[in-house]
Amino acid sequence: MDLIWIVFASAAAVAITALATAWAQGRIGPAVAASLAEKPELATTAIIMVAIPETMVILGFVVAVMILLRAGG
Amino acid sequence: MIIEMARMRIAGPSRQLEPVLRLLQDVGDLHLIAPAPPGAAPARPEGVSPRFARNLQRMLGDVDRVLAALPAGAAHASRSAPPDELPHAARRVRRLWRELGALMRARTELAEQQALLLQYRAFFEAFRPLLERPPRWPDARASFVLLRAGAGASVAELESKVRAVAGARLEMHARPLPSGEIAVLMLAAGSAAKQVEELLSAARLDELPAPRGLAEPDLLRAMPALRARIDEVEAQLRANDARRADIAALVRPELEALQAQLHDLLLLAEARAQVRTGELLFVVEGWMPEPAVAPLRARVAHELGAEIVVAQVGTEPWTRADAPVALANPRLFRPFELITRAFPLPRYGSIDPTPFVAVFFPMFFGLMLGDVGYGLLLAAIAAVLRWRSRPGSTLRAVAEMGLGCALFAIAFGVLFGEFFGNLGAVFGMHPLAFDREKSLAPFLIFTVALGAVHVVLGLVLAVIGAWRQGHRRQAVGRGLTIAMIALTALALLAAFQVLPARFFTPAAIAVLIAFPVLIALEGIIAVVELMSAFGHILSYARIMALGTASLMLAIIANRMVGALGSALVGVAFALLFHLVNLAIGLFSPTIHALRLHYVEFFGEFYSPGGATYRPLAHWRAAPRSAAT
Repeated sequence: MDLIWIVFASAAAVAITALATAWAQGRIGPAVAASLAEKPELATTAIIMVAIPETMVILGFVVAVMILLRAGG
Repeated sequence: MIIEMARMRIAGPSRQLEPVLRLLQDVGDLHLIAPAPPGAAPARPEGVSPRFARNLQRMLGDVDRVLAALPAGAAHASRSAPPDELPHAARRVRRLWRELGALMRARTELAEQQALLLQYRAFFEAFRPLLERPPRWPDARASFVLLRAGAGASVAELESKVRAVAGARLEMHARPLPSGEIAVLMLAAGSAAKQVEELLSAARLDELPAPRGLAEPDLLRAMPALRARIDEVEAQLRANDARRADIAALVRPELEALQAQLHDLLLLAEARAQVRTGELLFVVEGWMPEPAVAPLRARVAHELGAEIVVAQVGTEPWTRADAPVALANPRLFRPFELITRAFPLPRYGSIDPTPFVAVFFPMFFGLMLGDVGYGLLLAAIAAVLRWRSRPGSTLRAVAEMGLGCALFAIAFGVLFGEFFGNLGAVFGMHPLAFDREKSLAPFLIFTVALGAVHVVLGLVLAVIGAWRQGHRRQAVGRGLTIAMIALTALALLAAFQVLPARFFTPAAIAVLIAFPVLIALEGIIAVVELMSAFGHILSYARIMALGTASLMLAIIANRMVGALGSALVGVAFALLFHLVNLAIGLFSPTIHALRLHYVEFFGEFYSPGGATYRPLAHWRAAPRSAAT
């Protein structure tokens, strides 16, 4: 039973943060695309803007790994 | 590093202004700025008449159009002398444009015709042997139909329908075209032609009409005319190209010289707007690299004599906010200026981060990719790009950065014992540092520690920058942030018994004491900045996350060899998967290494807002190659 909860918790850590990242990028993406159409020189800022929410899923992944490691996986 | 600039003032008699500006353009070092009017002196900006500038622009537009209409040719190292009389040259360029404009319009029309005719030719080439043999029925009528790509199943259905109405009085052939479409030819005896036509009409299949301009409505009979027209169009296009090549051979060197001369004149006209003149004197002011001052003085004295004064103005260090910024880095670091320049330039007097980017960017990339096999492939791609690019072009810089990243990827690949994932084990490769597949925790700790080093380095640069600019309080605040990060790390290491536990209490007490001091120095915003610094350090965990993901994908690719039954299919899938992983492995680490620099590292110290150094110089044509 414990193993199920450990696996579920680590999966949730990735899944929830992935959904949050997807939601944020889904909102940033169109705005960035619209900005680039008018000002292509903002490409660097655009890359950063799109990459910023990825921190959530990456940290989610790290948390998932830590859960598995703490459980002896 | 940011080149040290000297503020220069050049003055002399008004009659010498023109030679001075020409000399400055030859030297190409002085970034002009408008000098402040000296007191109540009747100074006015020197300029050129707007009409003259407009005429130059118009003439330059004509020259650019003519050059664009000429076929591409080799760049001419030795240019002919620029024409002395601009009005005469302007009339000549206008005449050339009239002829070339007509030639270009004719060429566009011919090229469109050719594209259309070639479509028909592709159709006929498919049936040439059939059409060239004697017809089976003297009154045969040919019908041509074009079916869309992927409509192969419709051919059999169409044949059964036309056979039902025409029986043996019909031949039907279908051939795939290079475009993917299916060409269908139906040869029907005269007695069946009408029924076939009605059936095609009912099935809403349009017959291919004869091309415009060919009088014969029956495509079977139009073929010879079609071939003749294609040959004729090709001949006309060749003649058109030959005529333009003749014109190019005659006028290109002269026009390129004229183009450069016009650009130079316009640059001089812009420069004149920055000059102040009185009744007798002129004053030019600007910035130039410190090492170039002495050579300029010597050249002015040698070519223009002692009546031109070249003086260096005020040099309070680190407070000349309006000085333009020029970056100069060692050859090895120079390609990485591309990353710095993608951001607004650093302010004059602040720190150029390029040398740090040149070390950490390929290091982060290498840590994420960390594979000898992928590293070698990246090195090969980068070497090819470098070979194909021009010196000084963006592509050359990207290729050289790629080589640096590949070297780090190979080095970390050796440390992690990875060659296309775990394939290295077959050749006896073993991890020298740690195995990324199994040692997730050490890898995570290593990346976060690396993040701490990088963020602290950013804070150290912030301390230096603030101190240089006289913001001592801010410098001390940043220093205290560094101390708090170090003490927190010490407390954590002691808490997890990596260091002796006795360090924990003093470290924790020191953090608690430093905290209010930090708030007193920088205000409540310091708390937010401290928290954001810790967040930034944790953000480097992405290096571990992406590195592990890349390794896992490579391992899955290797497992495909034995998992898909056939070894051949397995190898094919494994290669495909490795290719996909390589593409991800090049793209994702680049984006994240960039982000770690732009957000986490630059965020600590970078002061954007530097003006670009644009000295008055001779115009240079951009390279014609796409590799820029």
